[in-house]
Amino acid sequence: MMIESFLERATPTWMRVEDDYSDIVISTRIRLARNLDGYRFPLVFSENEALQVEQAVTHAISDSSNLQHDYAYFAIKDLTPLQRQILVEKHLISPQLAKKEKVGSILLSEDESVSIMVNEEDHLRIQCMTASFQLQRAYEQANKIDRILEKSLPYAFRDTFGYLTSCPTNIGTGLRASVMMHLPALTLTGQMNQIINAMTRLGMTVRGIYGEGSENLGNVYQVSNQITLGKTEEDILADIQSVAEKIIQKERHARGKLMEKANLALEDRVYRALGTLTHARILTSEEAATCLSNVRLGVDLQLIKGISATALNECVVSMQPAFLQHYAGEALPPAERDRVRAKMLREALLAQQYTNKPMNGGKGEDLYDV
Amino acid sequence: MICEHCQQRNATVTVTQVQNGQKVEHHYCDVCASQFHPFHAEFKQEPISIQQLLSNWFGSPTWQKVGEKQQTPPPQQTCPQCGFTYKQFLKEGKFGCPSCYDAFNEHLPKLFNRIQAGPQHIGKMPGAHSNVYVIKKQIEDIRKRMKLAVDEEQFEEAAKLRDEVKELEKQLQFEGGDVS
Repeated sequence: MMIESFLERATPTWMRVEDDYSDIVISTRIRLARNLDGYRFPLVFSENEALQVEQAVTHAISDSSNLQHDYAYFAIKDLTPLQRQILVEKHLISPQLAKKEKVGSILLSEDESVSIMVNEEDHLRIQCMTASFQLQRAYEQANKIDRILEKSLPYAFRDTFGYLTSCPTNIGTGLRASVMMHLPALTLTGQMNQIINAMTRLGMTVRGIYGEGSENLGNVYQVSNQITLGKTEEDILADIQSVAEKIIQKERHARGKLMEKANLALEDRVYRALGTLTHARILTSEEAATCLSNVRLGVDLQLIKGISATALNECVVSMQPAFLQHYAGEALPPAERDRVRAKMLREALLAQQYTNKPMNGGKGEDLYDV
Repeated sequence: MICEHCQQRNATVTVTQVQNGQKVEHHYCDVCASQFHPFHAEFKQEPISIQQLLSNWFGSPTWQKVGEKQQTPPPQQTCPQCGFTYKQFLKEGKFGCPSCYDAFNEHLPKLFNRIQAGPQHIGKMPGAHSNVYVIKKQIEDIRKRMKLAVDEEQFEEAAKLRDEVKELEKQLQFEGGDVS
């Protein structure tokens, strides 16, 4: 499969699911960190070792007939900076892997639900993604791949410390479970700091959507486990499940309160955001992210009809700088990017509203439920 | 206003961030702003890295005065496989290879007690290990029952259990596990 087929789609097919949680949870991700015994970790290994690890992993994958998907292989060094950045924007590779100059590769399933990173911080990182809130399903998929690969790969494992990893924060299960959530009402009502503090005490972290250090742009947060040793995989998943459910409950409660106590202000905020996105001619990514968050809230609260969550997810991905430049087919200076971003979002959202039935039964020109 | 990153060109881009509930404004020029990914962390201070934490916890305490005698001299073990020293591990916050775990074994439980839920893995094991693990667990359980039987003077039952343990130990050796 060519790299272009992964770069063109703003959202992969697995994202197109709307269920009971999709008003708040965007996606669920499971990552398993694994290493091969007898090879140094990527922090210090030689290029030769890197090559041997890569060959072992690619052979294990191509030899396994039990794997659910076909995998496309790409060496990071063969990709242009723009192509790498698009893969980062789509969460298919980590920013750390994108920076690799010599070693590092990626194996991608055709539907993009599985990405196996080779020679990132660990020799192997198996990542499985599902839409909405499906921890168990994502874990089962990752576990299945792990079980198949362990048959032919000599994993570094000790009875006491479990799966050995480059960083002591991943030791044991090597499992990181993350739930990506849209929490505008908790942010708006100033409850996020309190939640983040409580989570830290429970051995979990809340981060921006791009992992460590990134800000909570567009009110999207990633809730994940911090602890990987001394707990079973089941315990880790159960903990994340119950904490995420609590947060979902709190967010829904906060949304309800906002609707009850500040309905007009909320409507104003939501419609202003829609107005900006459908009419602005210049949009920075910050403003676009904020507006998309507000429109999404409006859609979830059924203040705005005719725009799907999937379409909004697509906008969130494709408004990012690398994606935007790929879409435009050329490198764009920042000011030009803001113009293209405004055009792209305007067209995407207006197209949504025209393809969906207007709220007044098609009688008038009112496109919005006002 | 001058760009706070390059300190040369005029700042034309203002970035507002919320850090710990406080609004912070940054001013950059077009050129510097274009190099920052809007979702990335370059705008804000890096969070404390794992290596800083490790050095503070397990290296020389930062509050120690010059010339003051250290209570616990930093260990000097070296990993025979990759040549990483324990000091290097503290500095990097990362191991050099899987064998580092064996080389620095004595210090690790203390470390994992602090940064993890405990020092012992209780989760999944690769296929080759799971048998060993299961048998070890079985032996442990039978030994407990054996002790109980002896305490209750049910010697026949205890003898039966002892034979079961012997059988399992043979199996464990066959699987390549450590009988002790």
